[in-house]
Amino acid sequence: MDELLSIRKSFQDEIEAAEDLTGLQQIKIKYTGKKGLLSAKMKSLSSIPPDKRPAFGSAINEVKNFIEDILTQREVLLKGKDKEKRLQSERLDISLPGKFIPFGNGHPIVQILEEIKDIFSSMGFDIEEGPEIELDHYNFEALNIPKDHPARDMQDTFYISDDVVLRTHTSPVQIRVMEKRKPPLQIIAPGKVYRCDADLSHTPMFHQVEGLMVDKDISFSDLKGVLELFIHSLFGKDTPVRFRPSYFPFTEPSAEVDIGCIFCSGKGCRVCKTTGWLEILGSGLVNPKVFEMAGYDPGEYSGFAFGMGVERITMLKYSIDDIRLFYENDLRFLRQF
Amino acid sequence: MRVSLEWLKDFVEIKAEPSEVAARLTMAGLEIEGIESVEGDTVFEVNVTPNRPDCLSILGVAREVAAAFGLKLKLPDTQIKAQIPASDFSVEIDDPKLCRRYTGRLINDIIVGDSPEWIKKRLEKSGLRPVNSIVDITNYMLLEFGHPLHAFDADKISGRIIRVAKAGKNSKITTLDGADRVLPEDSLLIWDSEGPVAIAGIMGGEGSSVTNSTKNIFLESAYFAPFSIRRTSKELSLRSESSYRFERGTDIEFLESALNRSALMIRDICGGKIHEIVDNYPEKYIPRKIEVRYKKINDLLGTGLRDAEMLEILNRIGIKTEDRGDHFTAYPPVYRSDINKYEDLVEEIARIFGYNNIPARRPKAALSAGILNLKEIRRRKIREAMRKSGFSEVVNYSFMNPADLDILALPENDERKKCIAVMNPLRQEESLMRTTLVPSMINNFLYNLSHGIRNIRLFEIARIFIDKGEQLPSERLRLGGIYFKEEDISIWKDKLPSFFVAKGSLQALFDELKITGLSFVPSVELFLHKGKSADILINGKNIGFMGDLSPDVVGKIGLKIHNPEIVVFELDVDLLMTMLPDRTKYSQIPKYPSIERDISIVMRDDITSGSVLEYIKSCQAELIESVELFDYYKGGNLPQNSKSLGFRIVYRAKDKTLTENEVETLHQSLVQSILVKTGGELRG
Ligand SMILES: [Zn+2]
Repeated sequence: MDELLSIRKSFQDEIEAAEDLTGLQQIKIKYTGKKGLLSAKMKSLSSIPPDKRPAFGSAINEVKNFIEDILTQREVLLKGKDKEKRLQSERLDISLPGKFIPFGNGHPIVQILEEIKDIFSSMGFDIEEGPEIELDHYNFEALNIPKDHPARDMQDTFYISDDVVLRTHTSPVQIRVMEKRKPPLQIIAPGKVYRCDADLSHTPMFHQVEGLMVDKDISFSDLKGVLELFIHSLFGKDTPVRFRPSYFPFTEPSAEVDIGCIFCSGKGCRVCKTTGWLEILGSGLVNPKVFEMAGYDPGEYSGFAFGMGVERITMLKYSIDDIRLFYENDLRFLRQF
Repeated sequence: MRVSLEWLKDFVEIKAEPSEVAARLTMAGLEIEGIESVEGDTVFEVNVTPNRPDCLSILGVAREVAAAFGLKLKLPDTQIKAQIPASDFSVEIDDPKLCRRYTGRLINDIIVGDSPEWIKKRLEKSGLRPVNSIVDITNYMLLEFGHPLHAFDADKISGRIIRVAKAGKNSKITTLDGADRVLPEDSLLIWDSEGPVAIAGIMGGEGSSVTNSTKNIFLESAYFAPFSIRRTSKELSLRSESSYRFERGTDIEFLESALNRSALMIRDICGGKIHEIVDNYPEKYIPRKIEVRYKKINDLLGTGLRDAEMLEILNRIGIKTEDRGDHFTAYPPVYRSDINKYEDLVEEIARIFGYNNIPARRPKAALSAGILNLKEIRRRKIREAMRKSGFSEVVNYSFMNPADLDILALPENDERKKCIAVMNPLRQEESLMRTTLVPSMINNFLYNLSHGIRNIRLFEIARIFIDKGEQLPSERLRLGGIYFKEEDISIWKDKLPSFFVAKGSLQALFDELKITGLSFVPSVELFLHKGKSADILINGKNIGFMGDLSPDVVGKIGLKIHNPEIVVFELDVDLLMTMLPDRTKYSQIPKYPSIERDISIVMRDDITSGSVLEYIKSCQAELIESVELFDYYKGGNLPQNSKSLGFRIVYRAKDKTLTENEVETLHQSLVQSILVKTGGELRG
């Protein structure tokens, strides 16, 4: 019995000293292995008197159970420690940056163009396109701007030949569409336009969105309704809007549409030239002469048209003060959008 | 046009504040662009639209003020009542289409000097410089009544005759500004018995001009056809306050009052004797009349105006009306040459009623299901894919520098040399329309590089223009791009040729567009690096190119970087659009498992990986689901001029589970045929 006690004692000392799973494994073999100390004790049972065997046997089992329990506990503990150590060694500097290619940016003009197209699409307008190099006929004549008419002074034109120009507005698309489609129609025509003009506030190329709606009984009221809805979608529903008489050869009555200055809330500032209003688009009822030239009967149909400069709207939306920034294509500018 | 408030008050009793006057005029269509205080007076900057020549005067603006505020207009008396001598001047008009009326008065024994202060002040406030009393009075009348007058020194007119006729061949004149001018054949001139004395309606001749020693003058007040004045003024590049008004249209009846009032002013200020009017007026003005239904006006405006309201508005702006039951007749005054049709009346009623009083409504018309068209959706997909690959979008002018084509060294018969030229470019650098986006891409790259940016990925979607000999050029949508990275300063380095970064971006684009049948073959473009460029084919059709700029081009653009890898690309978007699948169609997910086999082969370096890949795909195509190149290796202990390629081949049958044995047999025979085909050997 004393021997069992000393086995138990030495086991306890050794297990305390064991620091890793290898040490533990050796202890396990030494005590509980097939050739271990406890197996040897079991085998020695045959050499003791039969009457003492049961007591001695259960004493061995008790020690065996005790040792196995401790071994299990110890194994769990050491395994945990081991795992911890491995994870520690695999630790990353999580403050290092991730690997990615930063997405590129959309050009602000194209982004605002898409916004405008989305608004009109949701109102049921189709998108149409026309050539950027255009016949004088479509750019001027069919829009009621004959040669020798002072209205031609309103736009400085780039000429390709006497009859061919770089379109000065997107309005010719109106005519081309009317020639191929019958009413009712509601379209917008976005695109590039060109004017022979370059200074602080003008670039020789810029973008416009033209719009046209034709049906029976379209009135000036409808024009106001559609354009107010558009402006409220683009600039917010509390934006003040006003319609003011103006002149375009291809519409009559014609209207400039102003919005309350978004920089001074209408109080008057440098941007709005103290008027409190900013000109945002031109519009009007389609001039019956234009209908006639496009082959529509002005007695049967009426309609409205409008046009806006995308650069100006973009400058207002993002508080950009120099139109030339759009065409420098400086990445430090582009990356802001 | 600058308009003095104090001067306006000669014609209409304005009590409102200047800001209120400006607001009302603006909302009636006469936009006030600025208000300025000048010596106790207010000067409005008025933007007069081309359709309203009647507003190019104090009187015209006063009429608008009167209408806007419901005030009465006071007109000065222009009658010359005293007994006056007859004139010995005669006037002949050659072509009454170009000069519809010509009047004049002889005024003798005047003394030319400085104008009185009040005239000088008003001229200066309006932006005109005082000259002498006669010139000043004609300018004063031009501003006040909007009718240009011209004073000749009567003693310098030969033969006491004024003839209005075209220039014909070889006519010359020295104008008031001292310039010698050769006159276009069609231009309208004022002649005396010897030769031209003025360019009608545009500028007088120096020889017949009024000076401080002038004693007798002949004062002209005429109506010249707008188109003729405009054409001559344009051809001569000569514009004046006078031509500006004539080309927009003047008042053929009122010109007599302008003549009389200025004659009276001259008599008051310079003394002298006014003679009887000379008036050549071949075809009298016939008043216009317009008929329109009341309902038409309300229908077009969306208003519910009563008949009487409409007539009242028109009467307020000087348009006489007669009610005829369901419609009315309107008689616009002579000076409103812009009012000829019913739509002109609609506009007048709308602007005086006030645009802001017209209700806004959503159209009654049934709206169609608004859709972004397919082209738009696809264009957005392309933009999105490029952005996801790190490319930022640029927008360039559609112009091109002729020198750009030299840099690219395009062959003589290249389509991109068939450029459209602009007749009147702002700068030589912008004199051609782009036939390729590459020069713009290079310029954008250079601009950013010179501003210290070292990682540049840019793209543009824009049209190019090719002259095909038709009236209008062909316009095609292109996608252009450029990629450059000086060094990888990120900590996770990627050391691969820039070519493959750009190629990967384009592959991602094609993948996003679900385009198949893609191949890259050596490019024929001369401005690209021979060994680092590709033409891009879809099902054998060339849709564009990509590659490093050639050393020649790099040298020509003056880049100081050694051996830079600048990759450009350009695709024909219109063509690309035609190759997209119409719709995405679901195909079944495989039911049976696949088996993978890898193979590494050492072969000659000049055999392209693409050709091997194609070959593998063509063998046992039915059972090979996919082949992927997973390893590319050169150098080490491999022989020179050789490389090792590793392919992973996935075998799968559609209708059963392949066994290891089946695949092994297939694979071994595949390996053998690849070795035969490439002349290579398995890598140990
Ligand atoms: Zn403001």
